[in-house]
Amino acid sequence: MDLLRAIFIDPFAQMIGSPDLLAQTIWEGFVGGVLYALIALGFVLIFKASGVFNFAQGIMMVFAALTLVGLHEKGVPAWVALILTIAVMYALAVGIERLVLRPLVNQPDIILFMATFGITYFLIGLGELVFGGNPKSMITKELFLPGGSIDLHIPGGRVQLQKLDIAAAAVALIMVAGLALFFQKTRIGRALRAVADDHQAALSVGISLNQIWVIVWFTAGVVALATGIFWGARSDVSFALQVVALKALPVLILGGLTSVPGAIVGGLIIGIGEKLGEFYWGPLLGGGIESWLAYIIALAFLLFRPQGLFGEKIIERI
Amino acid sequence: MSGEILLSVDDVSLSFGGVRAIADVSFDIRKGEVRAIIGPNGAGKTSMLNVVNGFYHPQKGEITYRGRTRARMKPHEAAEQGIARTFQNVALFKGMTTLDNIMTGRSLRMKRNIFWQALRHGPALDEEIKHRRVCEEIIDFLQIEHIRKTPVGALPYGLQKRVELGRALAMEPELLLLDEPMAGMNLEEKEDMSRFIVEANRLRGATIALIEHDMGVVMDLSDRVVVLEYGRKIADGVPDMVKSDQKVIDAYLGAGR
Repeated sequence: MDLLRAIFIDPFAQMIGSPDLLAQTIWEGFVGGVLYALIALGFVLIFKASGVFNFAQGIMMVFAALTLVGLHEKGVPAWVALILTIAVMYALAVGIERLVLRPLVNQPDIILFMATFGITYFLIGLGELVFGGNPKSMITKELFLPGGSIDLHIPGGRVQLQKLDIAAAAVALIMVAGLALFFQKTRIGRALRAVADDHQAALSVGISLNQIWVIVWFTAGVVALATGIFWGARSDVSFALQVVALKALPVLILGGLTSVPGAIVGGLIIGIGEKLGEFYWGPLLGGGIESWLAYIIALAFLLFRPQGLFGEKIIERI
Repeated sequence: MSGEILLSVDDVSLSFGGVRAIADVSFDIRKGEVRAIIGPNGAGKTSMLNVVNGFYHPQKGEITYRGRTRARMKPHEAAEQGIARTFQNVALFKGMTTLDNIMTGRSLRMKRNIFWQALRHGPALDEEIKHRRVCEEIIDFLQIEHIRKTPVGALPYGLQKRVELGRALAMEPELLLLDEPMAGMNLEEKEDMSRFIVEANRLRGATIALIEHDMGVVMDLSDRVVVLEYGRKIADGVPDMVKSDQKVIDAYLGAGR
């Protein structure tokens, strides 16, 4: 009885008892969720256009952030470093298309998947070689990202909002909304979806696969850079950061591998869910459930709705 | 039907490893005609179309299109040159709606750059509207208004074939390659499809190369017929002539082998 009470009654009583703590927890979960969503977005972009699950997305995030900070350390002004980093991500997209995707066109998906492992280790090596392996701190001030916090007064107490978190959420929302529109409503968006659907048919209407792949990998690179800046600002810029990219997996399962809105909703559910779980139910299990709760949620989803919340139902005629 | 020559295939050979798919085939397609390519299964008909629109590169021979002989052409370049096609086993974008599928056929004609498109404003929006209108006309023409917003993966086969034709027509092609447009259709659907093909040819001015197994359809629709068997050309001429050619009859009935 005590256990049931501790699971089903106490946490909710606690929530109602101190709404400020609840709001604070939800806000922190929200920010984490937004950042998960950004990472997931990078995966979705590439998966949509080339059917490849890009294992290197996590490391692309670290690599982008590292390039930005590393260039600044070498004396390049922050804004120039930002532009240079975007250029580097473009060069990376072109390189990957030329050297990896083009020779492997029409190979089974698993081969391309393995190739993204190769890209991962290449980027780790290159990053360490050029910028060293030590953790660096993100140049938030130089990029004019706000610091400090705002106190929000609500009935029953106050909630502290980091300005940086607000900026992260705003940037993420703008990016997601922009990309969703872009995919649905424009020629290139349509071409991206067409390539994802059927390579041969896409070629026959005059869509150049090579061009589309470069656009997609570049977009994923820019998204990775944005994610890297905000994750880097919350902790450090180091290779350990790629572990958070793993959290994108449950987000993807939840939202559906092919859905941009799915990535953001999935991200928010996972982000808020794990913070609430940790804060209210964590003590029952001795804490630390934040690190695995997301995977349990994803597993439950796989059982009942394998295409995710917004994923395309696979229609197969037999 | 004696227009100038739009496409000519000279001495083309294509093999995959040891298998010879096409052996020394030559023929031409004149502007404005409906040219049928027929032959038993495995005769190399689809391979021939794949050579024409650049999916395959022949080991030997030349292809001259619009007076220009080409070495190697990529499929998207062929599309830029006005060659559109449909596929034997329907290659549509299954997750996209009928309208979106047909709109992809316009992608080469939409030129606004990525920045305007990202904003979806100004010139890009005007362009989108203009092309949308063209697509709506094609949808009317093919009588598929009722499925405009349906994902094509959910449509019956006959309608998918129609959508695929629509996508090819949206490219306003000079040369339209149709690979078995009537395969698996019932009589009524075949009649509809024949009508669309004739109208695409007469009203929209597309030159058509057509692979088809239904001999009735082929004889009715086409101006000239080329017959392939085991990768070789065995006959070429007007339908009546081809129909009574002994080699063609043997190929189809398997006599004397």
